Amino acid sequence: MMNMIIQAVLILIYATFMGFIFMGIERKTMARIQRRIGPPLYQPLLDTLKLLGKRESITHGFIYDFGPIFALGASILALMFLPLTQNFQLFSSSGDLIVVAYLLEVPMLGIMLGAMSSGNPYSGVGVQRGLLTMVAMQLPYGLALIALVEHYGTFSLQEIVKAQQIAGWSILVPALLLAMIVFDIVFQALLGLEPFDITTAPAEISMGPMVEYGGKQAALLFTQHAVQLFAETAFFVILFLGGANNLLELLIKQIAVLFIAIFIASIYPRFTIDQAAKFLWKWPTIMGIIAALLAVL
Amino acid sequence: MENNEIKYELKEFKLFEPLFKWARKKSLWIVAFCTGCGGIEMPPLATARYDFERFGIMPNPAPRMADLFLITGYVTPKTLKRIIITYEMMQDPKYVLIHGSCPINGGVYWDSYNVVKQLDKYIPVDVAIAGCMPRPESVMEGILTIIRKIEEGTADGWKRYKENYEYYRKNQDELFGEGWREKDAKRWLAWL
Repeated sequence: MMNMIIQAVLILIYATFMGFIFMGIERKTMARIQRRIGPPLYQPLLDTLKLLGKRESITHGFIYDFGPIFALGASILALMFLPLTQNFQLFSSSGDLIVVAYLLEVPMLGIMLGAMSSGNPYSGVGVQRGLLTMVAMQLPYGLALIALVEHYGTFSLQEIVKAQQIAGWSILVPALLLAMIVFDIVFQALLGLEPFDITTAPAEISMGPMVEYGGKQAALLFTQHAVQLFAETAFFVILFLGGANNLLELLIKQIAVLFIAIFIASIYPRFTIDQAAKFLWKWPTIMGIIAALLAVL
Repeated sequence: MENNEIKYELKEFKLFEPLFKWARKKSLWIVAFCTGCGGIEMPPLATARYDFERFGIMPNPAPRMADLFLITGYVTPKTLKRIIITYEMMQDPKYVLIHGSCPINGGVYWDSYNVVKQLDKYIPVDVAIAGCMPRPESVMEGILTIIRKIEEGTADGWKRYKENYEYYRKNQDELFGEGWREKDAKRWLAWL
Protein backbone atom coordinates (compact mmCIF):
# COMPACT_ATOMS: atom_id res chain seq x y z
CA MET A 1 0.00 0.00 0.00
CA MET A 2 2.77 2.41 1.05
CA ASN A 3 4.73 1.42 -2.02
CA MET A 4 1.76 2.23 -4.22
CA ILE A 5 1.31 5.69 -2.72
CA ILE A 6 4.99 6.49 -3.24
CA GLN A 7 4.77 5.30 -6.85
CA ALA A 8 1.64 7.37 -7.42
CA VAL A 9 3.32 10.51 -6.08
CA LEU A 10 6.45 9.91 -8.15
CA ILE A 11 4.40 9.38 -11.32
CA LEU A 12 2.43 12.51 -10.58
CA ILE A 13 5.57 14.62 -10.11
CA TYR A 14 7.13 13.21 -13.26
CA ALA A 15 3.95 13.66 -15.31
CA THR A 16 3.38 17.22 -14.13
CA PHE A 17 6.95 18.22 -14.83
CA MET A 18 7.02 16.57 -18.25
CA GLY A 19 3.59 18.02 -19.02
CA PHE A 20 4.93 21.50 -18.38
CA ILE A 21 7.91 20.75 -20.60
CA PHE A 22 5.49 19.52 -23.29
CA MET A 23 3.62 22.82 -23.06
CA GLY A 24 6.99 24.54 -23.42
CA ILE A 25 7.80 22.42 -26.47
CA GLU A 26 4.44 23.38 -27.90
CA ARG A 27 5.11 27.10 -27.52
CA LYS A 28 8.71 26.84 -28.67
CA THR A 29 7.83 24.83 -31.78
CA MET A 30 5.04 27.22 -32.69
CA ALA A 31 7.52 30.07 -32.34
CA ARG A 32 10.13 28.35 -34.48
CA ILE A 33 7.52 27.66 -37.18
CA GLN A 34 6.68 31.37 -37.19
CA ARG A 35 10.44 32.14 -37.39
CA ARG A 36 10.60 33.51 -33.88
CA ILE A 37 13.03 32.54 -31.16
CA GLY A 38 10.30 31.67 -28.71
CA PRO A 39 10.25 31.31 -24.94
CA PRO A 40 12.49 28.88 -23.04
CA LEU A 41 11.17 25.34 -22.57
CA TYR A 42 10.44 25.90 -18.88
CA GLN A 43 8.28 28.98 -19.57
CA PRO A 44 4.93 27.32 -18.59
CA LEU A 45 6.45 26.44 -15.20
CA LEU A 46 7.35 30.09 -14.69
CA ASP A 47 3.86 31.16 -15.73
CA THR A 48 2.29 28.79 -13.23
CA LEU A 49 4.63 29.94 -10.48
CA LYS A 50 3.77 33.53 -11.23
CA LEU A 51 0.05 32.80 -11.13
CA LEU A 52 0.53 31.03 -7.79
CA GLY A 53 2.34 34.09 -6.50
CA LYS A 54 -0.55 36.46 -7.16
CA ARG A 55 -1.53 38.26 -3.97
CA GLU A 56 -5.26 38.34 -4.44
CA SER A 57 -7.61 35.62 -5.38
CA ILE A 58 -11.13 36.28 -6.49
CA THR A 59 -13.83 33.76 -6.01
CA HIS A 60 -17.34 33.51 -7.38
CA GLY A 61 -18.53 30.88 -4.98
CA PHE A 62 -17.79 27.30 -4.07
CA ILE A 63 -18.38 25.72 -7.50
CA TYR A 64 -16.01 28.22 -9.11
CA ASP A 65 -13.19 26.96 -6.86
CA PHE A 66 -14.31 23.38 -7.09
CA GLY A 67 -14.26 23.25 -10.92
CA PRO A 68 -10.44 23.32 -11.40
CA ILE A 69 -9.93 20.84 -8.54
CA PHE A 70 -12.49 18.50 -10.08
CA ALA A 71 -10.71 18.78 -13.45
CA LEU A 72 -7.28 18.18 -11.92
CA GLY A 73 -8.56 15.19 -9.97
CA ALA A 74 -10.01 13.57 -13.09
CA SER A 75 -6.74 14.12 -15.00
CA ILE A 76 -4.69 12.59 -12.20
CA LEU A 77 -7.02 9.61 -11.95
CA ALA A 78 -6.78 9.02 -15.72
CA LEU A 79 -3.00 9.13 -15.40
CA MET A 80 -3.04 6.52 -12.65
CA PHE A 81 -4.95 4.07 -14.86
CA LEU A 82 -2.43 4.22 -17.72
CA PRO A 83 0.14 1.44 -18.14
CA LEU A 84 3.02 3.85 -18.59
CA THR A 85 5.47 1.04 -19.29
CA GLN A 86 4.77 -2.50 -20.36
CA ASN A 87 4.86 -4.06 -16.90
CA PHE A 88 3.78 -1.15 -14.82
CA GLN A 89 0.25 -0.06 -14.15
CA LEU A 90 -0.84 1.42 -10.87
CA PHE A 91 -4.59 0.75 -10.99
CA SER A 92 -5.92 -1.80 -13.37
CA SER A 93 -9.23 -3.35 -14.19
CA SER A 94 -10.54 -5.35 -17.10
CA GLY A 95 -12.28 -2.28 -18.55
CA ASP A 96 -9.68 0.40 -18.06
CA LEU A 97 -9.78 1.55 -21.68
CA ILE A 98 -13.32 2.86 -21.18
CA VAL A 99 -12.41 4.36 -17.83
CA VAL A 100 -9.44 6.28 -19.25
CA ALA A 101 -11.29 7.32 -22.40
CA TYR A 102 -14.00 8.95 -20.33
CA LEU A 103 -11.80 10.26 -17.55
CA LEU A 104 -9.86 12.19 -20.18
CA GLU A 105 -13.06 14.06 -21.06
CA VAL A 106 -14.20 14.77 -17.53
CA PRO A 107 -11.68 17.64 -16.98
CA MET A 108 -13.43 19.67 -19.67
CA LEU A 109 -16.67 19.23 -17.75
CA GLY A 110 -14.96 20.40 -14.57
CA ILE A 111 -13.70 23.54 -16.23
CA MET A 112 -17.16 24.16 -17.69
CA LEU A 113 -18.71 23.74 -14.26
CA GLY A 114 -16.40 26.34 -12.76
CA ALA A 115 -16.66 28.67 -15.71
CA MET A 116 -20.45 28.69 -15.75
CA SER A 117 -20.64 29.64 -12.10
CA SER A 118 -18.57 32.77 -12.75
CA GLY A 119 -21.49 34.15 -14.76
CA ASN A 120 -19.31 35.88 -17.34
CA PRO A 121 -20.99 35.90 -20.78
CA TYR A 122 -17.70 35.01 -22.49
CA SER A 123 -17.43 31.98 -20.23
CA GLY A 124 -20.98 31.10 -21.16
CA VAL A 125 -20.24 31.23 -24.88
CA GLY A 126 -17.02 29.26 -24.37
CA VAL A 127 -18.81 26.58 -22.37
CA GLN A 128 -21.52 26.28 -24.98
CA ARG A 129 -18.90 25.81 -27.69
CA GLY A 130 -16.88 23.39 -25.58
CA LEU A 131 -19.88 21.19 -24.89
CA LEU A 132 -20.88 21.18 -28.55
CA THR A 133 -17.33 20.19 -29.55
CA MET A 134 -17.46 17.41 -26.99
CA VAL A 135 -20.75 16.13 -28.37
CA ALA A 136 -19.38 16.34 -31.92
CA MET A 137 -16.21 14.43 -31.14
CA GLN A 138 -17.88 11.62 -29.20
CA LEU A 139 -18.94 9.76 -32.33
CA PRO A 140 -15.58 9.47 -34.16
CA TYR A 141 -13.80 9.01 -30.81
CA GLY A 142 -16.06 6.11 -29.92
CA LEU A 143 -15.75 4.55 -33.40
CA ALA A 144 -11.93 4.65 -33.29
CA LEU A 145 -11.95 2.94 -29.89
CA ILE A 146 -14.52 0.39 -31.08
CA ALA A 147 -12.26 -0.54 -34.02
CA LEU A 148 -9.36 -0.99 -31.63
CA VAL A 149 -11.29 -3.06 -29.11
CA GLU A 150 -12.83 -5.17 -31.86
CA HIS A 151 -9.38 -5.94 -33.25
CA TYR A 152 -7.76 -6.89 -29.95
CA GLY A 153 -10.84 -8.38 -28.31
CA THR A 154 -10.11 -6.79 -24.94
CA PHE A 155 -10.83 -3.64 -22.95
CA SER A 156 -7.65 -3.90 -20.91
CA LEU A 157 -4.90 -1.43 -21.78
CA GLN A 158 -2.21 -3.73 -20.43
CA GLU A 159 -3.31 -6.53 -22.75
CA ILE A 160 -3.47 -4.17 -25.72
CA VAL A 161 0.13 -3.14 -25.02
CA LYS A 162 1.20 -6.78 -24.68
CA ALA A 163 -0.54 -7.76 -27.92
CA GLN A 164 1.27 -4.92 -29.68
CA GLN A 165 4.62 -6.01 -28.27
CA ILE A 166 4.09 -9.42 -29.86
CA ALA A 167 2.35 -8.59 -33.15
CA GLY A 168 3.74 -5.15 -33.90
CA TRP A 169 2.25 -1.69 -33.44
CA SER A 170 -1.44 -1.11 -34.02
CA ILE A 171 -0.82 1.24 -36.93
CA LEU A 172 0.60 -1.63 -39.00
CA VAL A 173 -2.93 -3.04 -39.24
CA PRO A 174 -4.88 -1.21 -42.02
CA ALA A 175 -8.09 -0.93 -40.01
CA LEU A 176 -6.25 0.47 -37.02
CA LEU A 177 -4.23 2.88 -39.15
CA LEU A 178 -7.55 4.35 -40.23
CA ALA A 179 -8.65 4.39 -36.58
CA MET A 180 -5.41 6.18 -35.70
CA ILE A 181 -6.11 8.92 -38.23
CA VAL A 182 -9.59 9.36 -36.76
CA PHE A 183 -8.21 9.39 -33.24
CA ASP A 184 -5.58 11.92 -34.24
CA ILE A 185 -8.25 14.31 -35.53
CA VAL A 186 -10.22 13.88 -32.31
CA PHE A 187 -6.97 14.25 -30.36
CA GLN A 188 -6.67 17.79 -31.71
CA ALA A 189 -10.07 18.57 -30.21
CA LEU A 190 -9.21 16.80 -26.95
CA LEU A 191 -6.11 18.92 -26.53
CA GLY A 192 -7.99 22.07 -27.54
CA LEU A 193 -5.57 22.87 -30.34
CA GLU A 194 -6.33 24.37 -33.73
CA PRO A 195 -8.44 23.77 -35.78
CA PHE A 196 -10.63 22.91 -32.78
CA ASP A 197 -9.57 25.63 -30.34
CA ILE A 198 -13.04 27.14 -30.58
CA THR A 199 -13.56 26.73 -26.85
CA THR A 200 -10.75 29.06 -25.80
CA ALA A 201 -10.59 31.20 -28.93
CA PRO A 202 -8.40 33.99 -27.53
CA ALA A 203 -9.16 36.52 -30.24
CA GLU A 204 -12.92 36.12 -30.21
CA ILE A 205 -14.16 35.31 -26.73
CA SER A 206 -10.99 36.11 -24.73
CA MET A 207 -10.06 32.63 -23.50
CA GLY A 208 -13.64 31.41 -23.21
CA PRO A 209 -14.12 29.45 -19.97
CA MET A 210 -10.81 30.71 -18.59
CA VAL A 211 -11.73 34.39 -18.76
CA GLU A 212 -12.72 34.80 -15.12
CA TYR A 213 -9.95 32.59 -13.77
CA GLY A 214 -6.91 34.28 -12.38
CA GLY A 215 -4.29 33.74 -9.72
CA LYS A 216 -4.36 30.43 -7.96
CA GLN A 217 -7.30 28.92 -9.80
CA ALA A 218 -5.61 29.65 -13.13
CA ALA A 219 -2.40 28.05 -11.82
CA LEU A 220 -4.43 24.97 -10.94
CA LEU A 221 -5.89 24.92 -14.44
CA PHE A 222 -2.39 25.15 -15.91
CA THR A 223 -1.23 22.23 -13.79
CA GLN A 224 -4.32 20.32 -14.88
CA HIS A 225 -3.50 21.04 -18.50
CA ALA A 226 0.04 19.75 -18.02
CA VAL A 227 -1.13 16.48 -16.47
CA GLN A 228 -3.82 16.16 -19.10
CA LEU A 229 -1.31 16.68 -21.92
CA PHE A 230 0.95 13.99 -20.49
CA ALA A 231 -1.94 11.56 -19.98
CA GLU A 232 -3.43 12.11 -23.43
CA THR A 233 -0.15 11.68 -25.31
CA ALA A 234 0.60 8.58 -23.24
CA PHE A 235 -2.88 7.23 -24.02
CA PHE A 236 -2.24 7.72 -27.75
CA VAL A 237 1.13 5.95 -27.50
CA ILE A 238 -0.39 3.05 -25.59
CA LEU A 239 -3.26 2.58 -28.02
CA PHE A 240 -1.51 2.99 -31.34
CA LEU A 241 2.27 3.16 -31.01
CA GLY A 242 2.87 -0.04 -29.12
CA GLY A 243 3.25 1.26 -25.58
CA ALA A 244 6.73 1.47 -24.13
CA ASN A 245 9.29 -0.63 -22.33
CA ASN A 246 10.68 2.21 -20.28
CA LEU A 247 9.95 5.84 -19.57
CA LEU A 248 12.51 7.09 -22.11
CA GLU A 249 10.87 5.19 -24.94
CA LEU A 250 7.50 6.50 -23.78
CA LEU A 251 8.87 10.04 -23.74
CA ILE A 252 10.22 9.81 -27.29
CA LYS A 253 6.94 8.45 -28.61
CA GLN A 254 4.95 11.05 -26.69
CA ILE A 255 7.01 13.86 -28.15
CA ALA A 256 6.47 12.41 -31.64
CA VAL A 257 2.70 12.43 -31.04
CA LEU A 258 2.93 15.96 -29.68
CA PHE A 259 4.83 17.17 -32.72
CA ILE A 260 2.13 15.87 -35.07
CA ALA A 261 -0.47 17.73 -33.04
CA ILE A 262 1.61 20.93 -33.03
CA PHE A 263 2.30 20.82 -36.76
CA ILE A 264 -1.39 20.37 -37.55
CA ALA A 265 -2.24 23.14 -35.11
CA SER A 266 0.22 25.60 -36.58
CA ILE A 267 -0.94 25.05 -40.16
CA TYR A 268 -4.71 25.18 -39.89
CA PRO A 269 -6.84 28.13 -38.84
CA ARG A 270 -9.75 27.84 -36.47
CA PHE A 271 -13.08 26.28 -37.40
CA THR A 272 -16.29 27.98 -36.41
CA ILE A 273 -18.41 25.81 -34.18
CA ASP A 274 -20.86 24.71 -36.90
CA GLN A 275 -17.99 23.86 -39.26
CA ALA A 276 -16.30 21.84 -36.53
CA ALA A 277 -19.44 19.85 -35.79
CA LYS A 278 -20.13 19.27 -39.48
CA PHE A 279 -16.52 18.23 -40.09
CA LEU A 280 -16.37 15.86 -37.14
CA TRP A 281 -19.68 14.24 -38.02
CA LYS A 282 -18.65 13.81 -41.64
CA TRP A 283 -15.09 12.73 -42.47
CA PRO A 284 -13.76 11.24 -39.22
CA THR A 285 -17.10 9.49 -38.69
CA ILE A 286 -17.06 7.93 -42.17
CA MET A 287 -13.46 6.83 -41.68
CA GLY A 288 -14.29 5.54 -38.21
CA ILE A 289 -17.19 3.45 -39.53
CA ILE A 290 -14.94 1.99 -42.23
CA ALA A 291 -12.25 1.24 -39.63
CA ALA A 292 -14.76 -0.44 -37.32
CA LEU A 293 -16.17 -2.52 -40.19
CA LEU A 294 -12.68 -3.55 -41.34
CA ALA A 295 -11.81 -4.56 -37.81
CA VAL A 296 -14.96 -6.71 -37.53
CA LEU A 297 -14.43 -8.45 -40.88
CA MET B 1 6.41 56.33 7.43
CA GLU B 2 8.39 53.14 7.88
CA ASN B 3 5.92 51.85 10.43
CA ASN B 4 2.86 52.74 8.42
CA GLU B 5 4.04 50.91 5.35
CA ILE B 6 1.41 48.45 4.25
CA LYS B 7 2.55 44.86 3.78
CA TYR B 8 0.84 42.76 1.17
CA GLU B 9 2.90 39.58 1.33
CA LEU B 10 0.83 36.58 2.25
CA LYS B 11 2.19 34.94 5.34
CA GLU B 12 2.25 31.39 4.01
CA PHE B 13 4.13 32.31 0.86
CA LYS B 14 6.85 34.41 2.46
CA LEU B 15 9.34 31.54 2.07
CA PHE B 16 8.79 31.29 -1.67
CA GLU B 17 8.85 35.02 -2.27
CA PRO B 18 12.25 35.04 -4.08
CA LEU B 19 11.01 32.27 -6.37
CA PHE B 20 7.83 34.18 -7.18
CA LYS B 21 9.82 37.34 -7.78
CA TRP B 22 11.96 35.49 -10.31
CA ALA B 23 8.89 34.03 -12.01
CA ARG B 24 7.12 37.41 -12.05
CA LYS B 25 9.79 39.22 -13.98
CA LYS B 26 10.14 36.38 -16.49
CA SER B 27 6.49 35.95 -17.27
CA LEU B 28 4.66 39.20 -17.91
CA TRP B 29 1.30 38.79 -19.55
CA ILE B 30 -0.03 41.81 -21.32
CA VAL B 31 -3.71 42.53 -21.22
CA ALA B 32 -4.72 43.04 -24.81
CA PHE B 33 -6.39 46.41 -24.44
CA CYS B 34 -4.92 48.76 -27.00
CA THR B 35 -6.16 52.30 -26.73
CA GLY B 36 -5.37 54.87 -29.40
CA CYS B 37 -2.93 54.46 -32.24
CA GLY B 38 -0.11 52.77 -30.28
CA GLY B 39 -1.75 49.37 -30.65
CA ILE B 40 -0.19 49.20 -34.09
CA GLU B 41 3.25 48.93 -32.46
CA MET B 42 2.26 45.64 -30.87
CA PRO B 43 2.26 43.34 -33.96
CA PRO B 44 5.95 43.99 -34.80
CA LEU B 45 6.79 43.37 -31.14
CA ALA B 46 4.97 40.07 -31.07
CA THR B 47 6.09 38.76 -34.45
CA ALA B 48 9.40 37.53 -35.82
CA ARG B 49 11.22 40.85 -35.91
CA TYR B 50 11.31 41.68 -32.20
CA ASP B 51 9.57 38.65 -30.67
CA PHE B 52 8.86 39.58 -27.06
CA GLU B 53 7.89 36.00 -26.25
CA ARG B 54 11.64 35.44 -25.75
CA PHE B 55 11.21 37.19 -22.41
CA GLY B 56 8.06 35.28 -21.56
CA ILE B 57 5.81 38.20 -22.48
CA MET B 58 2.53 37.09 -23.92
CA PRO B 59 -0.57 38.98 -24.98
CA ASN B 60 -3.41 37.63 -22.91
CA PRO B 61 -7.01 38.59 -23.52
CA ALA B 62 -8.33 38.01 -20.00
CA PRO B 63 -7.57 40.82 -17.54
CA ARG B 64 -7.83 38.49 -14.54
CA MET B 65 -4.63 36.66 -15.46
CA ALA B 66 -2.67 39.60 -16.82
CA ASP B 67 0.20 41.40 -15.12
CA LEU B 68 1.16 44.20 -17.42
CA PHE B 69 -1.29 46.83 -18.60
CA LEU B 70 -0.11 48.66 -21.70
CA ILE B 71 -1.86 51.93 -22.40
CA THR B 72 -0.89 52.68 -25.94
CA GLY B 73 -2.02 56.13 -26.90
CA TYR B 74 -4.44 58.88 -25.99
CA VAL B 75 -7.02 58.35 -23.30
CA THR B 76 -10.48 59.83 -23.52
CA PRO B 77 -12.86 59.89 -20.54
CA LYS B 78 -14.79 57.09 -22.21
CA THR B 79 -11.74 54.81 -22.47
CA LEU B 80 -10.52 55.92 -19.05
CA LYS B 81 -13.60 54.38 -17.44
CA ARG B 82 -12.78 51.08 -19.13
CA ILE B 83 -9.11 51.42 -18.20
CA ILE B 84 -9.93 51.91 -14.53
CA ILE B 85 -12.36 48.98 -14.47
CA THR B 86 -9.83 46.73 -16.27
CA TYR B 87 -7.05 47.86 -13.96
CA GLU B 88 -9.12 47.06 -10.92
CA MET B 89 -10.00 43.66 -12.37
CA MET B 90 -6.35 42.68 -12.67
CA GLN B 91 -4.92 40.88 -9.69
CA ASP B 92 -1.98 42.16 -7.65
CA PRO B 93 0.90 42.53 -8.42
CA LYS B 94 0.13 44.44 -11.59
CA TYR B 95 2.15 46.90 -13.59
CA VAL B 96 1.22 49.75 -15.90
CA LEU B 97 3.28 50.90 -18.84
CA ILE B 98 2.17 53.99 -20.71
CA HIS B 99 3.23 54.39 -24.23
CA GLY B 100 3.55 57.60 -26.21
CA SER B 101 3.25 61.24 -25.23
CA CYS B 102 -0.52 61.38 -25.02
CA PRO B 103 -1.04 59.68 -21.64
CA ILE B 104 1.90 61.66 -20.20
CA ASN B 105 0.87 65.22 -21.06
CA GLY B 106 -1.73 65.10 -23.79
CA GLY B 107 0.74 65.07 -26.69
CA VAL B 108 -0.80 66.50 -29.84
CA TYR B 109 -4.14 66.61 -28.06
CA TRP B 110 -2.81 69.09 -25.48
CA ASP B 111 -5.73 71.48 -26.03
CA SER B 112 -8.44 68.96 -26.76
CA TYR B 113 -11.60 69.14 -24.65
CA ASN B 114 -12.09 65.40 -24.63
CA VAL B 115 -8.69 63.92 -23.84
CA VAL B 116 -7.38 63.02 -20.41
CA LYS B 117 -4.05 64.85 -20.35
CA GLN B 118 -2.37 63.19 -17.41
CA LEU B 119 -3.09 59.56 -16.81
CA ASP B 120 -1.17 59.11 -13.57
CA LYS B 121 -3.71 61.22 -11.74
CA TYR B 122 -6.22 58.39 -12.23
CA ILE B 123 -4.19 55.20 -12.03
CA PRO B 124 -0.58 54.70 -10.91
CA VAL B 125 2.00 54.36 -13.67
CA ASP B 126 5.20 52.34 -13.43
CA VAL B 127 7.01 53.20 -16.64
CA ALA B 128 6.27 55.87 -19.22
CA ILE B 129 7.73 55.88 -22.71
CA ALA B 130 7.76 59.28 -24.40
CA GLY B 131 7.53 59.74 -28.15
CA CYS B 132 4.95 60.03 -30.86
CA MET B 133 4.95 57.17 -31.75
CA PRO B 134 7.67 55.34 -29.81
CA ARG B 135 9.32 52.77 -32.05
CA PRO B 136 9.13 49.09 -31.10
CA GLU B 137 12.72 49.31 -29.85
CA SER B 138 11.75 51.88 -27.25
CA VAL B 139 8.70 49.86 -26.22
CA MET B 140 11.02 46.89 -25.79
CA GLU B 141 13.31 49.11 -23.72
CA GLY B 142 10.32 50.15 -21.61
CA ILE B 143 9.36 46.54 -21.02
CA LEU B 144 12.94 45.72 -20.05
CA THR B 145 12.85 48.68 -17.63
CA ILE B 146 9.72 47.17 -16.06
CA ILE B 147 11.51 43.83 -15.75
CA ARG B 148 14.44 45.60 -14.09
CA LYS B 149 12.11 47.46 -11.74
CA ILE B 150 10.37 44.24 -10.75
CA GLU B 151 13.75 42.76 -9.98
CA GLU B 152 14.61 45.72 -7.76
CA GLY B 153 11.15 45.77 -6.24
CA THR B 154 10.47 49.35 -7.28
CA ALA B 155 7.58 48.57 -9.63
CA ASP B 156 5.10 49.29 -6.87
CA GLY B 157 2.22 50.96 -8.71
CA TRP B 158 -0.28 48.47 -7.31
CA LYS B 159 0.87 49.27 -3.77
CA ARG B 160 0.59 52.99 -4.42
CA TYR B 161 -2.95 52.48 -5.73
CA LYS B 162 -3.96 50.84 -2.48
CA GLU B 163 -2.13 53.33 -0.27
CA ASN B 164 -3.40 56.42 -2.07
CA TYR B 165 -6.77 55.07 -3.08
CA GLU B 166 -8.58 58.19 -1.77
CA TYR B 167 -6.48 60.44 -4.00
CA TYR B 168 -7.08 58.41 -7.14
CA ARG B 169 -10.73 57.95 -6.29
CA LYS B 170 -11.16 61.70 -5.77
CA ASN B 171 -9.65 62.47 -9.18
CA GLN B 172 -11.77 59.83 -10.88
CA ASP B 173 -14.93 61.11 -9.24
CA GLU B 174 -14.08 64.69 -10.19
CA LEU B 175 -13.94 63.70 -13.84
CA PHE B 176 -16.88 61.33 -14.03
CA GLY B 177 -19.08 62.45 -11.17
CA GLU B 178 -19.94 60.50 -8.03
CA GLY B 179 -21.29 57.01 -8.37
CA TRP B 180 -20.06 56.40 -11.93
CA ARG B 181 -18.85 52.95 -11.03
CA GLU B 182 -22.22 51.72 -9.92
CA LYS B 183 -23.97 53.37 -12.85
CA ASP B 184 -21.64 52.50 -15.76
CA ALA B 185 -19.75 49.42 -14.68
CA LYS B 186 -23.04 47.64 -14.05
CA ARG B 187 -23.99 48.36 -17.63
CA TRP B 188 -20.87 46.78 -19.13
CA LEU B 189 -20.34 44.10 -16.57
CA ALA B 190 -23.84 42.77 -16.59
CA TRP B 191 -22.87 39.75 -14.52
CA LEU B 192 -21.84 41.78 -11.47
